[in-house]
Amino acid sequence: MAAGGGAGNKTYSFKVVLLGEGCVGKTSLVLRYCENKFNDKHITTLQASFLTKKLNITGKRVNLAIWDTAGQERFHALGPIYYRDSNGAILVYDITDEDSFQKVKNWVKELRKMLGNEICLCIVGNKVDLEKERHVSVEEAEGYAESVGAKHYHTSAKLNKGIEELFLDLCKRMMETAQAEERAKGNGASQSTTSRRGVQIVDDDPQAATAAGGCCSSA
Amino acid sequence: MSQRKERRGIHVDQSELHCNKGCGYYGNAAWQGLCSKCWREEYQRARQKQIQEDWALAEKLQREEEVAYASIQGAQSQPLSQPQAPPQASLAPFSKFEEKKTNEKTRKVTTVKKFFSPSSRTAPKKENQEGKTPSPSISRQSSIETDRVSRDFVDFLKTLHKPGREVHKQSRAFIEIMANKKDLSADELSECVQDFYQNLSDRLMTHFKGSSERVERVMDEVEKYIMTRLYKSVFCPETTDDEEKDLATQNRIRALHWVDIQMLCVPVDEEIPEVSDNVVKAITDVIEMDSKRVPRDKLACITRCSKHIFSAIKITKSEPASADDFLPTLIYIVLKANPPRLQSNIQYITRFCNPSRLMTGEDGYYFTNLCCAVAFIEKLDAQSLNLDPEDFERYMSGQTSPRRPEADGGWPQVDPPTGSAASSPALTQVYQNLDLLSGMGSRQDRVLEGVQSLQRDLITWQESVEREVQEILEKYPLEIRLPAPSAIDSDNVENDRLPPPLTPQVFAG
Ligand SMILES: Nc1nc2c(ncn2[C@@H]2O[C@H](COP(=O)(O)OP(=O)(O)OP(=O)(O)O)[C@@H](O)[C@H]2O)c(=O)[nH]1
Ligand SMILES: [Mg+2]
Ligand SMILES: [Zn+2]
Repeated sequence: MAAGGGAGNKTYSFKVVLLGEGCVGKTSLVLRYCENKFNDKHITTLQASFLTKKLNITGKRVNLAIWDTAGQERFHALGPIYYRDSNGAILVYDITDEDSFQKVKNWVKELRKMLGNEICLCIVGNKVDLEKERHVSVEEAEGYAESVGAKHYHTSAKLNKGIEELFLDLCKRMMETAQAEERAKGNGASQSTTSRRGVQIVDDDPQAATAAGGCCSSA
Repeated sequence: MSQRKERRGIHVDQSELHCNKGCGYYGNAAWQGLCSKCWREEYQRARQKQIQEDWALAEKLQREEEVAYASIQGAQSQPLSQPQAPPQASLAPFSKFEEKKTNEKTRKVTTVKKFFSPSSRTAPKKENQEGKTPSPSISRQSSIETDRVSRDFVDFLKTLHKPGREVHKQSRAFIEIMANKKDLSADELSECVQDFYQNLSDRLMTHFKGSSERVERVMDEVEKYIMTRLYKSVFCPETTDDEEKDLATQNRIRALHWVDIQMLCVPVDEEIPEVSDNVVKAITDVIEMDSKRVPRDKLACITRCSKHIFSAIKITKSEPASADDFLPTLIYIVLKANPPRLQSNIQYITRFCNPSRLMTGEDGYYFTNLCCAVAFIEKLDAQSLNLDPEDFERYMSGQTSPRRPEADGGWPQVDPPTGSAASSPALTQVYQNLDLLSGMGSRQDRVLEGVQSLQRDLITWQESVEREVQEILEKYPLEIRLPAPSAIDSDNVENDRLPPPLTPQVFAG
């Protein structure tokens, strides 16, 4: 019943996995996004493998959890354990490395097979600052993305290009998917499936949360 | 008390081997000196008693709680309690709903083959195989813990007032329902618990007007209370093959003892003391997981382990760890730790943890990586370690080990060959240990020498004493003089001064 509630305040929790071959810049992308730093000694976080970001998109709160995955080939088989229950996937390749783009294609196939159309896919060509060494053509990459129902982005972790847009756009798409799911489900049918998939839709009343009405402010 | 002391001695009285109940059969220390038959009777009685005590406590808590609520409500002013009425109303229908639901479930599973009757569910059959027997004192111990958790739960719920009472009622009812569902499969048990979490948090969400933080806080306590009570019957249940998997994984890890840091590309340098300190702590944390009963507490162990890994990486590389650093290190830690009942613990967390924690939370990320580490270890082959397949086979069969390609026999020299030892922290460790051992050896030699000289001293001392005694004996030969017949008191002086009753009577001699 809470889920169906008015257009008011809701908090969405999304899990996003980062996939891609080693050295394409996955870690650099998230560190740029969450810390706005690149190859920097002063990065404050102890680790860059699990990072969170709180956003406010058109008045709705979004908690984003970004899961880095091990990109080495020998860990490839572990992918399904990582991306289970994720709402979005960011598939990164290096525009100077054609192999890394082939890897992305493999990931797309696998993700679609395992998770169907519920997962929002982003294909990201990173290192666009190295445009002159480009080995993956823009047309090919964008054409491929469209053909598999994914969106394509051009980024540079080094120059901080396209990253903010990438994450914002992804969040909006995940929210749409979650809302569509909600509507499809109708009222109170099987809410459990939603929350087991990791989407939590919550009526949020900030007043109640902060100015706790007397009795429940035990923390 | 005294019995125990005597048993420590070498000699054991035949009668002590008999059952303490005096039934004539032989007893066993593992059964607290009883024979198997008397032990079983005793154990059943203790269990029965514990169940009754549990009930008594639960009822007592319920009464306490009711009294507490009554006093609070009495103190509360009317206008304050008024707006709380609707949420309570929305909480109420839940119990009926749950009842109906569970009725359905029970009906569904009566066709499932019964593995054991409810009363024999915790009988020591399974544990006997492992050679450890649950003693009444252990179950008493855990019931103390259960009591403490129950008390904490009630204390926490008191701060929530009305919904707290409802949560308590629901939780207790749920535990009762679960007590009657012991023949469910692990998946069905998991589903029951997950449904309960879901329904309860949905109700709470309405009550707390969507403050998910507060709902989470309550749900954490609910999980703790429920899972502490259900732990024994749902951890590694006999309906699953969790136990076999545990053994398989344990053996697998043992067989992989030769895998080293270089093969896994682990970015930690154990020669830095601070790093090896963190490695040791990480190992301890992941081992500790098995000792916790609440899924969230087990998760916390994994998270602590992960944080120590991150520290180790950050100190070594001085940059934040990515997944490509973290996962290999976690694999390395798991291989080193060989944590007890690893598969059972993973299954238990998956089945009974509050799902939101596993899905998106930080704990969930580390847990997922642990699952990945285990999957990697299970599937690991020559390729995943960049090894030649033949070498891999030889390492696995124990024919050779990667550190010493040729079996050169004998122990390494105590003085480390500086070059190669510097490259391998494990080898350095071995050399250090050897150093330590030889140091201890020479100290022991010194102690032995001391003992021998003491012994010599003792012998010479004894001899000298004997000699002296002999000399004196020779100097003053023993003369046996026949005693002159006389009155006993004849040589006493001043007898006549004694008061009359004591004056010796003189007999004629
Ligand atoms: N020129 C340029 N270099 C980049 C960019 N992003 C990352 N790099 C460099 O690429 C290398 C690999 O970056 P990482 O972020 O570690 O790549 P990764 O995908 O996380 O690699 P793994 O963790 O091994 O899977 C580093 O040397 C980065 O400095 C970029 O946008 N432009
Ligand atoms: Mg990385
Ligand atoms: Zn007996």
